[in-house]
Amino acid sequence: MSRTLDRRSLVTGSVAALAAAGCSVRRSAAPPPAVSILRAPEYGPGLYAEVRRVLEMHRLNVRGKRVVLKPNLVEFEPQSAINTHPMFVHATLEAFRAMGAAEVRIAEGPGHRRNTLDLADAAGYFQAIPNFEDIFTDLNLDEVSLTRLRGGYSRLDSLYLPNTALRCDLLVSLPKLKTHHWTGATLSMKNLFGLVPGGVYGWPKNVLHWAGIHECIADLHVAFPRQFALVDGIVGMEGNGPIQGTPRRAGVLVAGRDVVAVDATCCRIMGIDPLKIGYLRLVAGEDTLAESHIQQIGEPVAGVTHSFELLPQFRAFRLRS
Amino acid sequence: MELISPILSSQNPDGGWPYIRGSSWTEPTVYALLAQLAVQPDGASFERGLNWLRRQQRPDGGWAPQPAVAQSTWVTSLVALLPADKIGAVGHDAAVAWLLRQTGEESGWVYRLRQRLLGYSVGEELSHSGWPWFPGTAAWVTPTSLAVLALEKAVRRNRQPLLTERIAQGKEFLLARQCADGGWNHGSSRALGYDGNSYPETTGVALLALHGSRSPKLGKALAAAERHWRDCRSAEAAGWLFLGLQAHARQPQTVVAPSPYRGVRDSSLWILVQAAAQGRNFFLGDPA
Repeated sequence: MSRTLDRRSLVTGSVAALAAAGCSVRRSAAPPPAVSILRAPEYGPGLYAEVRRVLEMHRLNVRGKRVVLKPNLVEFEPQSAINTHPMFVHATLEAFRAMGAAEVRIAEGPGHRRNTLDLADAAGYFQAIPNFEDIFTDLNLDEVSLTRLRGGYSRLDSLYLPNTALRCDLLVSLPKLKTHHWTGATLSMKNLFGLVPGGVYGWPKNVLHWAGIHECIADLHVAFPRQFALVDGIVGMEGNGPIQGTPRRAGVLVAGRDVVAVDATCCRIMGIDPLKIGYLRLVAGEDTLAESHIQQIGEPVAGVTHSFELLPQFRAFRLRS
Repeated sequence: MELISPILSSQNPDGGWPYIRGSSWTEPTVYALLAQLAVQPDGASFERGLNWLRRQQRPDGGWAPQPAVAQSTWVTSLVALLPADKIGAVGHDAAVAWLLRQTGEESGWVYRLRQRLLGYSVGEELSHSGWPWFPGTAAWVTPTSLAVLALEKAVRRNRQPLLTERIAQGKEFLLARQCADGGWNHGSSRALGYDGNSYPETTGVALLALHGSRSPKLGKALAAAERHWRDCRSAEAAGWLFLGLQAHARQPQTVVAPSPYRGVRDSSLWILVQAAAQGRNFFLGDPA
């Protein structure tokens, strides 16, 4: 379902290339983005302290701010590695509250299943997170605003986007560390597909596929500039992700303000070359994605690398050591 | 029926209904009105709801999901499920005409030709026209099922050949998208060589749309629906499963939702389930 190369595509492609180049220049002048990696062996009581520790590494000032946590909630199966783990989401909620945020909401708009609250219940969110319904927004059914897409990567000029995400002070992407059968990897940037309202575009949000998956990920990344990423990499998914893959224990939390750098680091942890991931290449140049450009805090990447199984069509994405 | 009280009390001042709270949307408003038809309609509430819907019809004949959206979408099928004499014959005919103009992009000749030129196969799943959620995108199971149900109501008023042709195409589309396990998911039964798993809610709504169909595929579909019914953890999904099974004379013994009702859509759907259990299925006809 890739698009044809028309004049608009050429123009937007050029703009995107220029933007990416500009971005690279700007980035190279700025201090390297910091990405923290923390070992977290299991979803147990210790996770609360580990999440606090990984956030403290970034000295986020969220006092008085409205924070929205965006997990990846996909399927009804609590035993699988499909969804962001509910205890991880709760630990993050508690950490941001302790950091003085005025309001912390959890918000998600699943891509295939319409009954979001039933899905969250079955996935363990109601049990793990007290008063879950009071602090949760179903982004598929949220109030929306037509938002111009300034990234110019896809052929979409605008999208209806949920006000809860548009109006928050900090959007915290809480993805699962997973392979993806269309994009190679799904991490904090791909997680933003859940912001696009199914109530407007349907289940799946097929308008994004027709306009180009990688390009739409890049557009959404630009549309939400106030982001932070915290990746649930305790148990990830390899093979035929993001739904039918196999659980893979990686035992890490990965975090940072620069979500591109976070995703590039997560790719390396999975043994995937970030330069092969289309949406990362769209928004960042080779130099920006280079390991040497990213300031690693905590564990070094090499100490936590796992060679996630890749589908045959993605084997060329394997990171060469 | 005690389910109707929370529905009536959640009506917005503008006459429409929210999903749970907040502004009015087309989908819960249609469900609330159908639910009122299934019980004794509250005259004032029903009329205000209808008026809200009538005001939202767009110049192209369709409906948007909610007033902030300037695009007619799949919810037009839901509005067309309401009796024509309630929504207005002219408005209803315009809704049906809008539905007839919609088709999944993947079944268009441009896309199919392009696929062939690129060397991709154009299999059975691309050879039948269904309905998309949003214009300009591919067809999927739920919007196709609802469009089939709406057009089957319309064909009783107007036997134009295009209606019957699109209904038949829609049913073929559904049969072609059946998952290997017998049920339906959102509409991607197989991707990259892997079979997709079916969902209870889409299995139910597809079976409802396929009522009266005679296909050897239905036996496996009904078995899948009965499996889902036993494990179902969603009131909405169970509602559709009940309606789908009942449409094929496999009505479950119990008429109880397995989880709380999550707002107007679930409560309304279960009023419609209870009415169907008593022989008045509002998706398949306009019972008096």
